[in-house]
Amino acid sequence: MTSEPAEIPDFSNLTCTSLMIRLKILLKKAGPDTPVECIVRRDQRDTIDVPFSHTGYDVKIWKMDNNRYRVSLMKKPGSDP
Amino acid sequence: MTSHFYLLGGPITPERLSWIEESLKFFFVKLNPENLLHHTKSKGSIFTFLLTGDALYSLQNPQTVPVWEIILSMPSVKIICDSKELELRGISAGRLKMKNPEQVIDRNSLALNGQPSFWKDVLKFARQHEQPVPSTVGYLQLESPYMHQSAHAALQYLDAGVEAHASVDLYAYLDGVHAGHLGQNPSECENIGTGLEAVNDKAQKKGLSCQMIACGRCAAARGYSTWDDGQGVVISTCSIKPFRIRNLKEIIDQFERNHVILAKDSAYIHLKKEGQSSSTTKSEDERKPPITILVTRRPYGTEMAFGAISFAVACAYEGIQTRVIFIEDGVYALMGDHKLEKGTHFFNLQEVVDAVAGSKNLQFFVFQPSLTLRGISKNRKLNAVLDIGIPELGQLLFYPPNGVSASHQRVIFF
Repeated sequence: MTSEPAEIPDFSNLTCTSLMIRLKILLKKAGPDTPVECIVRRDQRDTIDVPFSHTGYDVKIWKMDNNRYRVSLMKKPGSDP
Repeated sequence: MTSHFYLLGGPITPERLSWIEESLKFFFVKLNPENLLHHTKSKGSIFTFLLTGDALYSLQNPQTVPVWEIILSMPSVKIICDSKELELRGISAGRLKMKNPEQVIDRNSLALNGQPSFWKDVLKFARQHEQPVPSTVGYLQLESPYMHQSAHAALQYLDAGVEAHASVDLYAYLDGVHAGHLGQNPSECENIGTGLEAVNDKAQKKGLSCQMIACGRCAAARGYSTWDDGQGVVISTCSIKPFRIRNLKEIIDQFERNHVILAKDSAYIHLKKEGQSSSTTKSEDERKPPITILVTRRPYGTEMAFGAISFAVACAYEGIQTRVIFIEDGVYALMGDHKLEKGTHFFNLQEVVDAVAGSKNLQFFVFQPSLTLRGISKNRKLNAVLDIGIPELGQLLFYPPNGVSASHQRVIFF
């Protein structure tokens, strides 16, 4: 019997500002070694990528289809974002 | 003349007028004592209060009149009243005017139609600060029409702008998006939708630009559906033609420009230029006017407090130096430990503040006297929200944030 993987929240209906707020809250709650994952649109991916990677986060992005991306954010060791 | 002005259209409580008074005292005593030594009434005013709507009641309220008297005793302070609104409400500014005849103005300039127009006077302030004269004036509308008079004020401001040959921008946020709803048909008041369309037509005929941008999040929440036509054009069938429903970012993009943007309760604070550095050395971000957002309403009961923080986050993200001050009833957002039911879509405001505090270009403050007046204290966990009193409030209002070389600061009351 395999355990169900945790469902990745779909934030593709959020505006960029709400997405930013939502992610910051989740990252604040997540432990240092716990990634925060979500599904976003293409324009949201751009909103996340540069600002988070420049402020102490490790950002990974996988393309799922034309306008859907899976994003993973994790605090870089030693950083204090 | 280096003048600052407040446009106040909502009720002015004794609390509000008192902190304004205290911050003005700080300005004159600590920052500009030379004005106290060379007080000449013939010079232009340093502070002008443009009062309309419910703000005018403060000229008759026995709790606020003495505070106005103190304010008017400071050098070069002037009040300009909306004469039509005074008449409508049966308010007399007589007591203050009798003592300060040159400082309390209850007659307005004449518009092209020969009628007195408070908004023509407002425009004089909105357009006098730049050389050359700025070509655009903007207005941030936060309330719905008909329930609130501010939509009518926005319309008159934009109309006066076009009359003065300025391009005009309307930014509709929160309930302000209703101003652009298609098919408005009020029987007892001026049709705001038709009025905005007329302003747009008038501007086009004069070769002026007229932008009306509504926040997409606010519009979607209120049922204004939009779709992309496949070529990047967002279309809405439920808004008037000049209205464009767009991502909040497009509104914030306009805030990066240097024009004066007013709101129902707002202020324009002229910033002293520190030295004369070459304009070519200034970065784009340095030139963006900073914004101070005053959160004055209780959280949760309305969208105002969340809307203010959300707007601040968006401004900061676009490189605008942004300060958020919880003041008056806004301090309730920081009291106690807020808990939100699991699975709810709404935000816990304290969680939001805690999460976004420390973001680049964004700072949070709480006005300690507002907490004291309510007998409450700030949640200790919110240590990113700095306690301030009058001196710090004065500094935040009248000093530019570090590295800013913009000519003015915008202050918007939410």
